Amino acid sequence: MNAIEVNNVSKSYGTVKALDDVSFTVGKGEVFGLIGPDGAGKTSMYRILCTLLLADSGTVAVDGFDAVRQMTDIRRRVGYMPGKFSLYEDLTVEENLQFFATLFGTTVEEGYDSIKAIYGQIERFKNRRAGALSGGMKQKLALSCALVHSPSVLFLDEPTTGVDPVSRKEFWDMLGTLKDRGITIVASTPYLDEVRRCERVAFLNQGKIRGIGTPDEILTRFADIFNPPGIDHAQGGEVKNENVIEVEHLVKAFGSFHAVDDISFTVKRGEIFGFLGANGAGKTTAMHMLTGLNQPTSGTGRVVGYDIRTEHEQIKKHIGYMSQRFSLYEDLTVAENIRLFGGIYGMDDKEIARKTDEMLERLQFADHKDTLVASLPLGWKQKLAFSVSIFHEPGVVFLDEPTGGVDPATRRQFWELIYEAAGRGITVFVTTHYMDEAEYCDRISIMVDGKIKAMGTPDELKQKYNQPDMDHVFTYLARQATRSSD
Amino acid sequence: MLRHLIRKEFLQIRRNPFLPKLILMFPIMIMCISPWVMNMEVKNVVVNVVDNDRSTRSQQIVHSIEASDYFIFGGQKPSYRAALAEIEHGKADMVLVIPHDFGKDIDRGEMPQVLIAANAVNGTKGGIGSAYLSQIVTSHVMPTKAAFQSKVSTLLLYNKHQNYKLYMIPALLAMVVMLMTGFLPTLNIVSEKEIGTIEQINVTPVSKWAFILSKLIPYWLIAFFVITVFLILAWLIYGIIPDGPIWLVYVLAMLLAMFFSSFGLIVSNYSDTMQQAVFVTWFFVMIIMLLSGLFTPTRSMPSWAYATTYVNPMSYFIEAVRTVFIRGGGLSSIWHQVLALLGIGSVMAVWAVVSYKKNS
Repeated sequence: MNAIEVNNVSKSYGTVKALDDVSFTVGKGEVFGLIGPDGAGKTSMYRILCTLLLADSGTVAVDGFDAVRQMTDIRRRVGYMPGKFSLYEDLTVEENLQFFATLFGTTVEEGYDSIKAIYGQIERFKNRRAGALSGGMKQKLALSCALVHSPSVLFLDEPTTGVDPVSRKEFWDMLGTLKDRGITIVASTPYLDEVRRCERVAFLNQGKIRGIGTPDEILTRFADIFNPPGIDHAQGGEVKNENVIEVEHLVKAFGSFHAVDDISFTVKRGEIFGFLGANGAGKTTAMHMLTGLNQPTSGTGRVVGYDIRTEHEQIKKHIGYMSQRFSLYEDLTVAENIRLFGGIYGMDDKEIARKTDEMLERLQFADHKDTLVASLPLGWKQKLAFSVSIFHEPGVVFLDEPTGGVDPATRRQFWELIYEAAGRGITVFVTTHYMDEAEYCDRISIMVDGKIKAMGTPDELKQKYNQPDMDHVFTYLARQATRSSD
Repeated sequence: MLRHLIRKEFLQIRRNPFLPKLILMFPIMIMCISPWVMNMEVKNVVVNVVDNDRSTRSQQIVHSIEASDYFIFGGQKPSYRAALAEIEHGKADMVLVIPHDFGKDIDRGEMPQVLIAANAVNGTKGGIGSAYLSQIVTSHVMPTKAAFQSKVSTLLLYNKHQNYKLYMIPALLAMVVMLMTGFLPTLNIVSEKEIGTIEQINVTPVSKWAFILSKLIPYWLIAFFVITVFLILAWLIYGIIPDGPIWLVYVLAMLLAMFFSSFGLIVSNYSDTMQQAVFVTWFFVMIIMLLSGLFTPTRSMPSWAYATTYVNPMSYFIEAVRTVFIRGGGLSSIWHQVLALLGIGSVMAVWAVVSYKKNS
């Protein structure tokens, strides 16, 4: 018997067709990937499968139960991990787990066997608030919460977005053990290495299933989306022998905890500098000090020639910044956002108008000038946010995980923009969890437990640690971390 | 730079599906409904009468009750117990028991005892109601005493008709200013914190002042608009116009706006979530309102509570705006309230700017 049967399901929101005649089946105990770009209809599909949303037409059966008539039966049998929110940040680890157990009318003790393998890894922190956990640990907790009532089907909607490669690997290893227990898993992910760990995948685009097959079949068939040709590195700008960022012995301590623990490095003008590290390694804290949001505890630093301690307001005039939390105003249109940020940096109206047209023309986005940002797909928002952050031609642009949650083709387009900016002489300081993006950088540093463990060009690092690619280099170094598990 | 930020705020307010409606409906709703309901006059007190006498005299008393604006005649009851039962069921507020031979006793020049029992759960209603009722009874029993009382002349100053609406409208003005300039900017800033856009603003060269002013100026303008609507409605619906100079009403309202918006900014600087901000603001606003003399006279508070009115901007505002509205006072009669409001407002404004940190 199939664990999931979806027949001719359609769903529209007003005039937008989110799902259009979707059919697929998932066998019992299978690991099934539901992949596709942002806005393809994946989340709508999950919500229909979990009986949270009613399809306009078509039938859905989960574990032999009809999604419309027998929804209480289904809800008892499925575990759902939604993309963004599934934990209460103000509750402790244990309280979160107890809460979800109670929801399903069971107790943590009763469900303990089914979560032991996963929960065991975080049980030491059971009195810590969920909000204070690192990304990888939050994910393990969320998975434990979804598993506490021993579901037979598990739905995971992009569970690993914004999570570092090492934690992601551990996460998928855990999913492997669940498969051995006969649990059916439907998961979506923007990461190719994770797509390859599914047994079969369905590629969903604009509400339609474009293909179902083994990961390799799908990835080759839609290679233009999943496997775009790499970018020629020479496109980048010329690196000048002039330091734009200089940091010496920088420390940021919160009480006795050293989030950033004595780091020193320099970035040269025109360089694309990749600032890598696992979740909680201290990347964002370091970036906040460089952008003048936080004062360092000790150490010195200069950005575009200004001291980060005393001249932070000067620095702010000469840098661009794009945060991982989305940084444009969603309730303003594209043009209004550009005008706002142009105005903030003291550009006059004429210049703003001229550069706006020029920029939108270059992005082939002129038609959407008066579209509200909220209604744009994620990939476009990110490209736009980046273009706005370099609109005033800053000396350095800081990008904090700019490409979270989008497909490889969109990420590639994003990197073309980065190269273009670097070509114009803008120094790029970027953090990312995608190791293929790390290869695009001129130079990278890898942070582990608040310290910089390695620094150099991608090739140098691969050679030094004798690893085939950046993914392995990162995993090799990040596994030495002691902090994320203390 | 400030121009761009203010334009952004107005665009966001306009796009908000709810705010423009609130801004328009709020003064209208408050003005049309509140003056009628926020009323401390005692009226429509239901009186049951137990008439054991059934004489002409007692009938006259009953007729006076029926004729009064303040009372509703609840009916004749056979016994005190039956009348009391109605009070217990909440159907009546007071009982008047007229004894046997009431009429005869009066004619003989004796002093018959009349019982008035009042439900004093609502103290004001019970107290004032029984005072009115005993006045009616007295005027029948001892016309001479009543005549003597009418010789004592009471001169009501300023609010000659004791119009409660005239007293409440300035207080409602304070509430509108508080909501528009205290709550709205606070929630706006905290929601930028929650969404994360404030981080983006903090890494730009926008100065503290520009950011704060860009949050306040739109709401000040809105408050200005709302006050104008408010005053026009007061004139249209109730025919009430300030006796004193109208510009003073605006000056006072803007000073109060300065206090509340600074207060809101301070709260938003220390809160990370909407829940926290709303709760903290509400907590202080309740205290400020209750201790301000908005609804109750401050002089009748215990002395320690009265002492707090010296630092309560709301009580200065209420006092000053009532002076202007009702007594027609000019700047000369309220200058010390104006100075106090300016002083408290400035302290809060400085605190608000200092506590906003672009770099921590």
